[in-house]
Amino acid sequence: MNDIGEFTLMIALATSLYGTVAYVMAARGNRIDLYLSADKVPLITWACIMISSIALWKAFFTNDFSLQYVYAYSNIELDYFYKFSSFWGGQKGSLLFWALILTSYMMVVHIQNRSKNLIVVPYAMAVMLAITCFFLFLLNFSTNPFERIPLPPEDGRGLNPLLQNYWMVIHPPTLYLGYVGFTVPFAFAMAALISKNLDDAWIRLTRKWTVVSWFFLCMGNLFGASWAYVELGWGGYWAWDPVENAAFMPLIVATAYLHSVMIQEKKDMMKVWNMSLILLTFVMTIFGTFITRSGLIQSVHTFDEATLGYYFLGLLFFIIAVCTALIISRLPLLKSKNELDSFLSREAGFLFNNLLLLGIAFATFWGTIFPIISEAIRGVKITVGPPFYNQVNVPIGLALLALIGIGPIIAWRKATWSNLKKNFLKPLMFALIGGAILFPVVPLSNRSEIYTYIAFILCIFVLSSMLIEFYKGTMARYASSETYLGALGSLIWNNKRRYGGYTVHIGVVMIYAGIAASSSYGIHTEKRLKIGETIEIRDYMLRYEKLAAIQATSVKTRIIAQLAVEKDGKKIWTARPEKEFYKGQNQPVSEVDVRSTLASDLYVILADFSEDESATIKVYHNPMVKWLWTGGWIIALGTMVCAWPDRLEQRRRLERLKLQKIVFSPAQE
Amino acid sequence: MNITFPHFIELLLITGIIIAIGIPLFGKLPNTRPFSKIDPVEEEFKHLLVRKEELLLSLKELEVDLQADKISIEDSDALRSKIEGEAIAILERIDELKKNIKKHGRSASKNFLLA
Repeated sequence: MNDIGEFTLMIALATSLYGTVAYVMAARGNRIDLYLSADKVPLITWACIMISSIALWKAFFTNDFSLQYVYAYSNIELDYFYKFSSFWGGQKGSLLFWALILTSYMMVVHIQNRSKNLIVVPYAMAVMLAITCFFLFLLNFSTNPFERIPLPPEDGRGLNPLLQNYWMVIHPPTLYLGYVGFTVPFAFAMAALISKNLDDAWIRLTRKWTVVSWFFLCMGNLFGASWAYVELGWGGYWAWDPVENAAFMPLIVATAYLHSVMIQEKKDMMKVWNMSLILLTFVMTIFGTFITRSGLIQSVHTFDEATLGYYFLGLLFFIIAVCTALIISRLPLLKSKNELDSFLSREAGFLFNNLLLLGIAFATFWGTIFPIISEAIRGVKITVGPPFYNQVNVPIGLALLALIGIGPIIAWRKATWSNLKKNFLKPLMFALIGGAILFPVVPLSNRSEIYTYIAFILCIFVLSSMLIEFYKGTMARYASSETYLGALGSLIWNNKRRYGGYTVHIGVVMIYAGIAASSSYGIHTEKRLKIGETIEIRDYMLRYEKLAAIQATSVKTRIIAQLAVEKDGKKIWTARPEKEFYKGQNQPVSEVDVRSTLASDLYVILADFSEDESATIKVYHNPMVKWLWTGGWIIALGTMVCAWPDRLEQRRRLERLKLQKIVFSPAQE
Repeated sequence: MNITFPHFIELLLITGIIIAIGIPLFGKLPNTRPFSKIDPVEEEFKHLLVRKEELLLSLKELEVDLQADKISIEDSDALRSKIEGEAIAILERIDELKKNIKKHGRSASKNFLLA
């Protein structure tokens, strides 16, 4: 099977190269034979990569340590669940996984657009196939997952214990689904530029792809934060690590694109801007891949054998050069006919939102690459840590939060004083009342706490503006509906994009509140305890009860500390933080125990222990962390509403096509 | 040279792929062109239909906002007349295009655009 897997990788490269050329030639020469031939390539490439992937998965499940990759990332004792995820645990497999997702997406695009015969489709397919070629080239000639070991060992080295966590099974595929997903709008944007078909058809064709990819990228970031929170054992979930930044930047640029694209659809403006934003989003996804695979940065998130830097750097420069040249050459066609009616309008709000988002993206980008530039030029390695990012991104983030609240209530085109008064008064009132209630309760002793207080006020402002939107819409519909719930349902159902978007914003507000509270009001304490001794934090008292050792498997030993947690003299929970020792691994892995409620998390770590059963226990009290994860699920719900097929829109599209056919039918000639 | 089972599968695969992508190239196909040339008039017509739709949606949205008391009657009237003005201009241009195509056919579209 390994031979076949390796062979199909080579066949996939050959066919995708053929497909790229054939699609371009078919479009340029208007040749049906080449087009029909090229049209077989997406399926063939996908099938070949699928066969290679199945071969690699089979090697993992059958403990075939003759493959260097399986030897490096698995062992006999590894759970089947993690054998499945070991596939993307290292560089080689993750590249194959990337290619698998890319070709799967390509198949869907191919099926979606098969009968449409639009000129942009063959070019878009050619762009996607060219990107597939790049990954297949690496897989065949630089980092082959089917590389053999001449004398296969009896057992493998095993998967990094830090990766043996359920979030690590979900996080990378989710992130990849987002990363790779942006290839589709990028390919269509390139196709529109190449074919000079620069109306907003490509935007409408890829709208759902953008929303879904954005969602996966967003959830991928959140799942990664969840993994860091429960697995890395430092009490936090985000450290502005370069690799975290690499996943964060495309998300931010894509968010800007998602908003500005609405202005193009609505007002036929900002074509160059949108084109640049989607290209920048894709460039950022490749930059993120470059960071994790170049070996330039050491991080828990980078790959061990990060040797592909030059390839990705080359690809980055190539894409930037081609995209810039294409945009410049098509500038006259991208000129917008319309202008902003007023700077006091929702369009202007979206524009400011874009500027702020790009500000955050740029600051993050600068903080990420500055240590690399500094080391290259001065030979001095400088670390840009959380203080830099917080100092720059927090004020911008707060302004952005205010705009999330202003956006839905300010009028399109031009807002008037009466419009502002009508819609701003109530949310502002709620925000001020909330602020007044919170003022004596929350501490305001440093800049971070002041920012958090402002964030809370803004969260109340945004949340109330959103809820008032839902309320007003429901009440307007209630006249024609029997129940309030029915009115709310029909309001959302008939305006999926609008109210789905508002739901996403509610999720974002929850994330803001969670981040603000947990980063400002979190406290921690640490104590060496003997059996029976206690440690206190806020209203909680933790009594150290016992230390137990369990031989979980032949390669894993668990040392578990048991602590009874009391609040107001009443036992409410038993914490069991542990340390796991893996055979062949120098460092033990901490498995924290967390009691999570909407109010706060009690986060317990077994930092150290000794033979006399005394142990060092570290306890964190992190307020409102659960708001982050809950916000994530609300975003998921909102995205689902946004991406749900819209029959009215389909009908409108069909009517447009019908009318076009009547007017431009050959009978007219 | 021994032909092993994997070799046989590989041979089958490669033959299947060559046949699949080769048939359209060497088989008999009707002499059709898959992509029609971009006609600027048709593109403009398509674009105007989309713009018209967007403006109608804006009007609908405005109505919803008025019903929900998000906007005053005066503001709504001012915005409506602005959107309607744009919509009328678009409808006039659509009619103009339609009439011309009916009169001269598609071949006249380029001249019409220049005029």
